[in-house]
Parts: sequence; structure tokens; C-alpha cells
Amino acid sequence: MSETFHCGDNTALVAYLYDEGEPGERAAIDAHIALCAACAAEVAALQSARLQLTAWAPPDADLGFAVVRPEEKGPRAQGSSEALVSPGPRGLRSGAWFRQPMPAWAQAAAACLIFGVGLSLGILRGTTPAAPAEQAAATAATSPASATSVTANDLAALEQRLRAEVAELRATPALVSAAVPQPGNNAQIMAQVRALIEESELRQQRELALRTTQMFRDFDSQRRVDLAQIQRSFGQIEGLAGAEVREQREMLNYLMRVSEQR
Amino acid sequence: MNWTDEELVTRSRGGDLDSFNQLILRWERPIYALAYRVIGREEDARDVCQETFLRAYRALPGFKGQAKFSSWLYRIALNLCRDWIRRQRRAPTVQLAEGIDPTELASERGPAESIEDLVARRELSGVVEEAMGLLPEEQRTAIILKEYHGMTFQEIADLQGCPLSTVKTRLYQGLSVLRRHLEKNGRVPQLVKRV
Repeated sequence: MSETFHCGDNTALVAYLYDEGEPGERAAIDAHIALCAACAAEVAALQSARLQLTAWAPPDADLGFAVVRPEEKGPRAQGSSEALVSPGPRGLRSGAWFRQPMPAWAQAAAACLIFGVGLSLGILRGTTPAAPAEQAAATAATSPASATSVTANDLAALEQRLRAEVAELRATPALVSAAVPQPGNNAQIMAQVRALIEESELRQQRELALRTTQMFRDFDSQRRVDLAQIQRSFGQIEGLAGAEVREQREMLNYLMRVSEQR
Repeated sequence: MNWTDEELVTRSRGGDLDSFNQLILRWERPIYALAYRVIGREEDARDVCQETFLRAYRALPGFKGQAKFSSWLYRIALNLCRDWIRRQRRAPTVQLAEGIDPTELASERGPAESIEDLVARRELSGVVEEAMGLLPEEQRTAIILKEYHGMTFQEIADLQGCPLSTVKTRLYQGLSVLRRHLEKNGRVPQLVKRV
């Protein structure tokens, strides 16, 4: 590496910037930028750009990758079905097992299982009510003698018993209409409804307050950002105006000097 | 015990899975950060990171220690990023900065940091990310490796497969574009002490 520096050698400036040049070259650049305003400004600008770069940070990510053995038990291994074969692609999974995608064969197996269970339940439900009827039919078929031995007296007795039972049921309406709401029950239900409404109102009020607070906070933050931007803009405008005034003043001074000389 | 990378690699090659998992734990954040900064998408960066370790694990028997383990890992990750960029050439490689949501910001604010500082930091981060997205892939990668991973010019040259002088040129051109973009966005370079 040379120990001299040629003005405008940008690669040398980069080496200087990152402190990777040779000591001799560094000293040469130091000496040069002490005299050359352009190179000094270039180095300062590059350094400033580097400073700005520090603001860029990647977002936090939930990593935690790990290779798992096929025979390993636990959520990680369960979530990666192919890890059972080899600690390959699926073995390097992170996150909860239930969030992992399920392989096609497992989905098909699950669908078959659900279908089978549903079918079994349906069959069971269909046969259960039929059983007593079948039993009754069987009983009737096996005892024809008892069916033929019913007399008119038996039938009359049965009719009387039924009438008595119906009359008894009519005499106790409270028992029959137990499901109908009574005045006392009405009050209780109304109280429950009121309590529910009050609770709902409270919840809504809380939510409204939360939203309002959030809105105020957002508004306040935005206002501050806007104010900062406005302030920056004003600063720039003031700077520009100041520079123009300075230029004009210099121009006037120059004109004055020239006119005085004449 | 705090093993070095080389020791962990040797143990991993001997079949010790825990050693390889230690290497993953040690290097997954830098690799993820590299992938995110190169390709600019969180989910894809995660995938690249995962794929990097997967390939490293598979290729471990062939790794003879001719380079540093981290350099080898970086090379795999960069190749994957390059593949990803080739596949996504039609789509923008870097997401534009999203709008700033103060309520979301409040949760990530440090105890000593005001909301204004936080907003300003996020804004600057967005501008830098946007500016980095403007750079050609080689310049962006060179800057990322230098600025965020502290590599030497020679290491970057080895990874990028180019001469040392090319690395310097890429860094210079990249930084110049960044500087102009930041100036255009009102990020006037501050006067800093000379290096």
C-alpha cells in the first residue's frame, strides 16, 4: 500500500473511514484532509451516513430453532412428523407443535376418524329407540294367550283408572304449568335482565374510555411529530432566508465599495 | 462450559446434536439479521435462517474447517438470500416502511426514551431501510456485512467472491447513495468528529 494519498481516491477514503488502511496511508490521509476541505467534507459525510445506519434494526423474531432427534418425545418432535424419519427439514422447526402444518396423510386419517365416529354415533342413535318396540313386539308375539284373555271388565277398569288420573292432573294445575313464569319469577328474571344490561353498559363505558384514551394519545403523538416537523421546516427556511440576506448584504457592501472607489 | 465454534463443530460432527443446537443458538440472531437486512421481509428472513442451519447441518460432514464456521454459515445464508432475490426479482426486495403507530410504539419504548425519540428513531430506521432498498444487491450486502457484522474487507471479498478493491468501491458507492437519499429525506448529515 502506498504511503501517499491522491485527492479523490475514494477507495482509500473508505479504508480510512473503516480504519483498515495501513498506518502510513492513514497518516498521509490525515495530513491531506487537514488541508483539503473537499476530502474532509467527504469523510465527514460518509461518517455521518454510517451513523445513520445504526438506527436500522431488524424486528424481533421468535427464532429458537433446534434440530430434534426422531425418537425425541415432546411438543417439538410431535409437531414435526418428518422428524420421525430423519432430523431433516421438519426437525428444524420452532414454535408450538400445534401451529405446525399437518401432513396430508394425517389430515386424511383425521377426516376418516371423524367420519367413522360420526357414523357409529348415528347408527347407535338409530337403533336405540327401536329396541323397546322390538321387545314389545316380541313379547306380544310370544304371549298371544294373554292378549286374548282381556275381558270387558278389565277394559272398564282401565278406563276408570285413566279418567281418575286425568282428573287428578287437572286438579293440580300448578304442577302442570310449572314451566309458566309466575309473578315472583318475573321479578327475578327482570332483575337478572337489568343486571345483565348494567353489566353490558359498564363494559361499553370502559371500552369507550379506553378507546378515547388511546385516541387522545395517538392524537397527542401525531401533534408532537407534526410540531417537530414544522419546527424543522421553519429552521430550514430561516437558514435559507438568513443565507440570502447575508448574500444580499455582501452584494450591497461590494457595490458600495465599488461606487466609493469610483 | 463455553466451547468455541470449532470445538462445537467437531462435537457436532461426532453426532452430538446438542452441540449443533448450541451453534444454532449462538448464530441464529446474526443470520436472521443478515437475511432480514438483505431481503427485507421478516417471514422470508426466518425461512432463510432456518434453511441456512438445515443446510449447514446436512453439509456438516463435509465441512473440514477450511474456513471459520461463521464465515461458512454466512456464505450459505448469502447464497440463500441471492436465490430468494432471484426468485423475487419482479417484486420489491425491501418492504417500504410502514406508517408509525404510536400505540404500537408505546410498548417498545425504553424507560428513558420519550415517545418523540422513539418516533424519530422509527422514522429514521424506516428511511434507512428504504434507502438500503435502493442499493444494488452487492452494495447492500457489502454495507450490511461491514456495518452490522463487523467483517473485514478481506472477509467480505471472500464471501462475495470479488477483489478487495471492489469491496471498497461497493462500500463507497453504497454509502454515497445512502447519504444522498438521507439528505433528500431531511436527514441532514450531522457534523461528526473526524475518524
